[in-house]
Amino acid sequence: MRTKTEAGADGTPAGLRLRPPGSVTRSLRVPPRALPLLFVVPFLVIIAAWVLAKSVFDVSDAALPSIGDVVHASNQLIDWGILPYDVSASLYRIALGTVLAIVIGVPLGLLLGSSRYGVTMFGPFLRFFRAASGIAILPLLIIWFGFTETTIQVAILYTALIPIIFSTMIGVRTIPPAYRDAIETMGGGSARMVRDVYLPGALASIVVGIRLGVGYGWRALIVGEMLVGAGGLGFMIFSAQQFHALGQIVAGMILIGLLYLVIDRLVLAPVEDATVRRWGAQRG
Amino acid sequence: MVRRSVTPVGQLLADHDVTAPSKRVPPTRQGGRIVCKELAHTFVNARTGESVPALDTIDLVIEPGEFVTVCGPSGCGKTTLLRAIAGLVTPTQGQVLCDDIVVRGPGKDRGVVFQELAILPWRTVRRNIAHGLEIQRVPRRERDERVAYLVDLMGLSGFEDKYPHELSGGMKQRVAVARTWAANPRVILMDEPFAAVDAQTRLTLQEELLRISALSSNSIMFITHNVNEAVFLGDRVVVMTKRPGKIKAVVPVPVPRPERTVKAMADPQLVSLTDRVLHLVRGEVQ
Repeated sequence: MRTKTEAGADGTPAGLRLRPPGSVTRSLRVPPRALPLLFVVPFLVIIAAWVLAKSVFDVSDAALPSIGDVVHASNQLIDWGILPYDVSASLYRIALGTVLAIVIGVPLGLLLGSSRYGVTMFGPFLRFFRAASGIAILPLLIIWFGFTETTIQVAILYTALIPIIFSTMIGVRTIPPAYRDAIETMGGGSARMVRDVYLPGALASIVVGIRLGVGYGWRALIVGEMLVGAGGLGFMIFSAQQFHALGQIVAGMILIGLLYLVIDRLVLAPVEDATVRRWGAQRG
Repeated sequence: MVRRSVTPVGQLLADHDVTAPSKRVPPTRQGGRIVCKELAHTFVNARTGESVPALDTIDLVIEPGEFVTVCGPSGCGKTTLLRAIAGLVTPTQGQVLCDDIVVRGPGKDRGVVFQELAILPWRTVRRNIAHGLEIQRVPRRERDERVAYLVDLMGLSGFEDKYPHELSGGMKQRVAVARTWAANPRVILMDEPFAAVDAQTRLTLQEELLRISALSSNSIMFITHNVNEAVFLGDRVVVMTKRPGKIKAVVPVPVPRPERTVKAMADPQLVSLTDRVLHLVRGEVQ
C-alpha cells in the first residue's frame, strides 16, 4: 500500500495506469482522430493572452517583448550562429547525463528492488536526496569542480539518477511474485530473472523514471549553465538579461520548453508505445 | 498407510499413438517419484513474531506416472504442501525427496502450474510456452517443434503470436498448462489452475488435462478445493484436514484415466465415491 501511494505521489506508475480504451473519446464526443491536436489549445490560449496584454493593456516592451520581437530575436540568434551552438551544447549535455543516469540508475534500481530489504533500507535515503535536488547541490558542486563542464554534468547526472533508481526499484517491487517463482521452477537463474522478469516487468516504471529524470535533469542543466557560463541555452538567456534583450530571453524560454517536449514526445513516448502499451494491462 | 501403488496409466499409454501423424510424438520420460517425509511447516510473521502452523506431519508418496489430487478446505495448507514439493518453501520440519534426492530449492524436474498462472504478459503465447525450453537451452528447431506440438494439443492454434492480455481466461490457463508441459518435467505440480474460469470452460480444461496426462508419463499432483474435480482427475484423492493440514484419508478412484468422461462419472459407484470425499471434506469445513 505504502509503495503505491509513493509511486502515485511522484507520478510514477499512475501515469501508466491504463485507462479504459476510448473512455476519453466517449466522454468528450470528439472523433479520436481530432484528439491529438487538443494539446495545442492551452498554448493558443497563452499566446492569445500575450497578444492581448500587449495590444489591450499596452504592456511596455521593456517588461514584455512582442511576438514580433521574439521572432526577430530568434532569427538574429540563428543568423549569428549562437542559437545552433547553444542548442547543441545543451542537447549534448542532457543526452550524456541521461545516458549515464540510465546506465548507472537502472542496474542499481533493479538491485535494490529485487533485494529483500532494498526498499526498506534505501527508500527514505532516496527520498531525502530527491528533495535535495540538483539545483540545491550546485553551490557545492561549484566549490568542488569550479565553473566547469563537470559541474553541469554532475548536476544533471545526480538529478536524473535519483528518480530513475527510485522508479526502477518501485517497478521491480510491483512485479507479481509468482513470475519469479515461475522462472525458478523452470530452472532459471538470476541472469534469466533480470532479463525475463525484472527488466520487462519494471519497464513501464523505468520509462516513467527516465521521463521524470530527463525533466529534472533539463532544469538542472538550465540552472547549471546559468551559473557556470560555458554556453548552452541557460547561459544564453542569462547573458541576454545583461543586455536587457527581452526578445532573446523569451525566445530561449520557448525553446527550452519546446526542446523538452520534443525529447519527451519523439524519444521517450515511442519507447513506451513499442513495449508497455503492446503488452497490455500488465498491472491491471 | 498412505503409500498405495496404482498402475501408472500414463506409462501404459506412452506408446499409444494418439497424435496427429504429421507431428512428432513428444519425448516421453518416466515420471518422477515424490516422497514427503514427516513434512511440517509453520509460518512466522516477521513483524508480530506470531507463528501460524500450516502443515502438520504429512507423509505422502506420489508414484511415477501417478495423478494425485489433493483436496481440502480453504486455508488447509494445500498450497504450502505444493510449494514445499516445488522447493519454493523450505519446510520447518521433515523433507521432500524427488527421485531419492532431497529437495533444497526449485528445479526444472518439478514444473508448476500456478494458481495465478504466472505467464508473462510481455511474452507472446509461443514464447511463453517455449520459456522453459529456452532456459534449458534446447536448440531452436527442437523447441519450435515442441511448442507447435503443444499449441496443437492445447487448441491454441492461431493464437501463437498473441499476448496474454488478448486471450480469454480459459486460453490463458491453456498457455500456463502448455508452458509447464513443454519443458516435460518429471513431476508436474498444479495449484488450482482452473479455479478462476467458468464451469463450462473448467470441464473442457479438465478433459483436456486428462487427455494430455495420458499422452505423457509425468507424475502429477493437482490441488483443488473442488471435490468433483478431485475425483474426476485423480488416480487417488488425498483429503486434507483443516489447518494445520494433515492427511485425513486417501481415496483411490478405480476408473482408469482415459475412460473418464462426464458420462462415466455419473456411474453410481463413482457418485458414491464423490459423496464420500465430499463428506470427508465437509466434516472439516464445519
